[in-house]
Amino acid sequence: MRIVEAYIGEYASGKSENAINRALDLVQGEEPVTLVDLDLVEPCYTLRPLKRQLEARGLQVIAWETKDTVGLGEAGAILKPEMRWALQRAGHVILDVGYGASGSQIFNLLEGFTQSSAQVLAVINVARPMTATVADIIEYLQEFVQLDGLINNSHLGDETNMAIIKEGVDIVSEVSRKMQIPFVATAADERFRSQLGKQDHQGHTVRYLRRFMTEAFW
Amino acid sequence: MTDHLAMPKSWHVETKPHKFCPGCGHGIALKILGEVIDELNIQDRLVFGVDIGCSLLAWDFFDVDTVQTHHGRTNPVMVGMKRANPDLLCIAYMGDGGGYAIGSQHLVNSAFRNERILAIVINNCNYGMTGGQMAPTTLPGQKTETSPYGRDAETTGSPTLGPEMVAAIASPGAYVARGSIANIKQLKRFMKKAVENQIAGNGFSFLEVLSSCPTNWRTNAKQTWAFVEDEMSKYFKTGELRTPDEKKEA
Amino acid sequence: MTDKPIQGEKRVFMTGNETLAWAAVAAGADIMYGYPITPQNEVMHYWTRMAPKFGRKFLQTEDELSAGFTTIGGIMAGSRAFSATAGPGTTLFQEPISMAEMMRIPLVMAILQRGGPSTATVIYSQQEVNMMTFGGNGEGWRVVYSTATHQELYDYMIKSFNTAWKYRFPTFVLADGYQAKMREPLTMYNPEDRGIEMVETERFVGLPGVPGTDRPPAHHRNTFSVEEELYEATMPIQKEYEEMSEHVVEWEEEDVDDADIIILSHGVVSRAAKAAKNRLRAKGYKVGYFRPITLRPFPEKALQKVAGKCNNFLLAESALGQFARPVKEALFNVPVNSFETIYKPGVGFTAEELVEKIESAR
Repeated sequence: MRIVEAYIGEYASGKSENAINRALDLVQGEEPVTLVDLDLVEPCYTLRPLKRQLEARGLQVIAWETKDTVGLGEAGAILKPEMRWALQRAGHVILDVGYGASGSQIFNLLEGFTQSSAQVLAVINVARPMTATVADIIEYLQEFVQLDGLINNSHLGDETNMAIIKEGVDIVSEVSRKMQIPFVATAADERFRSQLGKQDHQGHTVRYLRRFMTEAFW
Repeated sequence: MTDHLAMPKSWHVETKPHKFCPGCGHGIALKILGEVIDELNIQDRLVFGVDIGCSLLAWDFFDVDTVQTHHGRTNPVMVGMKRANPDLLCIAYMGDGGGYAIGSQHLVNSAFRNERILAIVINNCNYGMTGGQMAPTTLPGQKTETSPYGRDAETTGSPTLGPEMVAAIASPGAYVARGSIANIKQLKRFMKKAVENQIAGNGFSFLEVLSSCPTNWRTNAKQTWAFVEDEMSKYFKTGELRTPDEKKEA
Repeated sequence: MTDKPIQGEKRVFMTGNETLAWAAVAAGADIMYGYPITPQNEVMHYWTRMAPKFGRKFLQTEDELSAGFTTIGGIMAGSRAFSATAGPGTTLFQEPISMAEMMRIPLVMAILQRGGPSTATVIYSQQEVNMMTFGGNGEGWRVVYSTATHQELYDYMIKSFNTAWKYRFPTFVLADGYQAKMREPLTMYNPEDRGIEMVETERFVGLPGVPGTDRPPAHHRNTFSVEEELYEATMPIQKEYEEMSEHVVEWEEEDVDDADIIILSHGVVSRAAKAAKNRLRAKGYKVGYFRPITLRPFPEKALQKVAGKCNNFLLAESALGQFARPVKEALFNVPVNSFETIYKPGVGFTAEELVEKIESAR
């Protein structure tokens, strides 16, 4: 079955890591997988520098290459024409979405996007002050017309510990209950595999992340 | 009735007689402004901002809190002040260079944003303090130090019509008018309505004052008056261009 | 969200631009004036998201000249006001900054340096050092904090408001595009909870009472008639600047006492410098580290003292000697054995290259 998933979230929520890792998981299967860099807000922290590396791993990557982007940043919010038609491609499509104040209006830019054809997943890091509490997260998520699932990706970068992951699980679970939106998974760095196991303490699947974005700066 | 022979109460007596040249229109404009301040009793909540050029000579003119800024930058200083503290009444006072040349982007955008300040531009058809150079408002054919053969519209453009420009872009609630020191009763009506428009918080207020610069025009009293009344008023029409209720005095 | 923007101490994970916006909120800033320019935009994005929740204001102006002068207007009305900019915006800001210097207006700004000259890159550089320390037509009466970490962005943004309002000199956090966009953990706090008292703001205009009746009018100017009058006006400012300097000057030094060579750097480059120093120390090399935090006023005496212990230097900066200039000035008349530089305008440094540079010379 074709999978179309959009990973959305705040700056530094980990949406790109989640999108990349999801796409690399799917590429193990038979279907082609397309990863789309749809970050119109903060183009400095995009898949751009990782494009070739990810392509070498079998992904089709739709992203600008730095050499093609004169005035990157100033003119960074330029939509690459292929992005508009990404959903027309065969196989799975994973969208890494930086959306800005207009929220899920960004999906208007994708030809053929319908609510039933795609899953919109919000990546949440409770170590980010704008999404630190149940109330703040709900306020933030209410901007979205479509929201199909929540991913707890609570972390503090290199300082991440079990406590922050656990806090994230509890807060995102509460949001999930209140908003009636499924808690899809907890995401955590590979190094927590031995401590966390297959499920977090509330029984959600754990997706382990290999970190790529540390190499993606500008 | 205001006693026009007396000094307005809001004038700062210690700095009178003022420093403007004999026959300069600034004195008349500032006299009228002083009377308006007195009549509206706003001395304690008014901030007067003055530009660079002859307008800076008014930095200690009133018993009113006053800020002398940079050339063309009086509008943004007053805008910032008003935004931070809307209880203040903020008047930006400048010449035609400050208003229409170096500070034109600030004037245009203050008008676009409908900033609740009053901007007053004294139009005397030249840069006075720097020694009589061509200004945005210099009339076609007028000789100045940088248009020694007379202003050529082909190469230097036509005189800026400030109030017309502001009126074209201003939002509802704006007050836009052009008065003249040659008609002080009308000028005072406009000045007062412009200040009242800010007090009411209706929108951006803008007043251009046709003024005189005999020193740089090298004119005697009669010639000065003739230039203001005949030459300038032909090109720059006095009257109200925008009022909050859109009833206008021609 | 509650009335108190930050509840207790909180470890958070953010970008640098967000950190600056949060610090301004925590510092009790009333209003931000700004104009979009990369890489500082997210300071405005986050400020405008938070402002209504905490009763703060924002004005997007028509350009950086207006952003600077509206900020000055807001400050003169008694508000704790600030702005942020970068690159060509910093160039335009020199005009309002010079007015703030002359009129002792506590202007606070964050500068996120980008490549230059001209439009150049929107990414990263250390090429706004000259402009931020001595730009404008004046004598550099400013305080410039060059930060290296997100914690410092937070701490020094708060501190900038207090330095500015206490001493009445414009005060800046000088960061860069990397710091703007990179993300790392930091601790957020309410300044009061750490015993940091925010210096009260004061009005320059709109004071109580009727001017001329109840009090003299406040007449503020930056124009003077004659040379002597200007001299009389400016020399006391210079004196106050010098008196302030010893109280605000800051630097960081490590392992300088027994060092054979000291790495000089500032801002984000000092992260690479410190890491290189630590790695080289682990390998047995006697390497020291010195980093001015205030680029203006410059920690001259501290550097001279260090030079008394070790007079071999390696200076690294992402510019063509803008940082080296005040360093050399501080070392004038101090015996220096060797002074090597690595200038990489608009390009960042890694610890590895500094390690290699020092190792290859040993």
